[in-house]
Amino acid sequence: MVKLKKRKLPEAEIPTSSMADISFLLLLFFLVSTVIDVDTGIGLVLPEYVPPGEQELVPISKDRLAAVLVNENGDVLLNNEIIAIPQISKVLKPRIESKIDLPANKKLVVSIKTDRKTNYNLYIQALDQIKEAYFQVREEYARSRFGKRLIDIDDRSEEMKEIKEKIPITISIAEPETVKK
Amino acid sequence: MKFQKKRASVKQQIPTASLPDIVFMLLLFFMVTTTLREVDVLVKFRLPEAKAIEKIENKRLISYIWVGYDGRIQLNDSIVKLEDIQKIMYAKRLALPNVIVSLRIDKNSEMGIVTDIQQELRKASCLRINYSAMLKI
Repeated sequence: MVKLKKRKLPEAEIPTSSMADISFLLLLFFLVSTVIDVDTGIGLVLPEYVPPGEQELVPISKDRLAAVLVNENGDVLLNNEIIAIPQISKVLKPRIESKIDLPANKKLVVSIKTDRKTNYNLYIQALDQIKEAYFQVREEYARSRFGKRLIDIDDRSEEMKEIKEKIPITISIAEPETVKK
Repeated sequence: MKFQKKRASVKQQIPTASLPDIVFMLLLFFMVTTTLREVDVLVKFRLPEAKAIEKIENKRLISYIWVGYDGRIQLNDSIVKLEDIQKIMYAKRLALPNVIVSLRIDKNSEMGIVTDIQQELRKASCLRINYSAMLKI
């Protein structure tokens, strides 16, 4: 009887030594093409558009209003006092603080207005100062009321809700006037 | 007397078997975080700097408007005229009701053009805006 000899199969194998190289190549591609750009900026909500004929003037008491005017030279007029841009937050802060415990319809309204020729950078600096003032007040409130830093408070928590209710950020962009050219 | 060099008897080799796994892990991370640039920015601009800035959490909602140093306005992937903004943005708002408009405006622009764009956005009732700015250190 013939002995059936089982043929020995060569072991099948996929060469994996180059896998690392291939994955490195892919990795490099993604490393180079990745742009982790987080969009940062100053958020704002514009007022609704009302055609000029239907505009209604709502009187706001002097006490509530902080009108910030920025001219083309970078001078700031805050309630008829000439100050420089870096001073805005210092002037606004006590006024925001004094209104923490007042009802919602008595909170401070900051109105910002610029010239057409004003540099955009100056406007952003002024807006930044206003936001800064609000954030500082919120931070201090969070620390004294909850003993926490503002960044440690969850955005959806009750505590944040209270802060937002007590210190709402109301920045209004003044209606642009038609200018004679 | 013969000196013999002391050598460890074990093989000196770094085990590379897990290298592909590690690399794949990195690869996966970068693949997931990568957002390939969708539009070519046709205008040149330098963003202003500010301290009190926030991050925009929801990237899906953002729509960009660029304004270059020469005052050209780019919306989507083409240069547009000021009068066209309202129409395009209104269509965008219908598709995406709570759209956030990110304004990437060159810092040496004049407020005139910014105000004009804002007026157009108000007419298109895209009211949530964001002045794009870099963090001032």
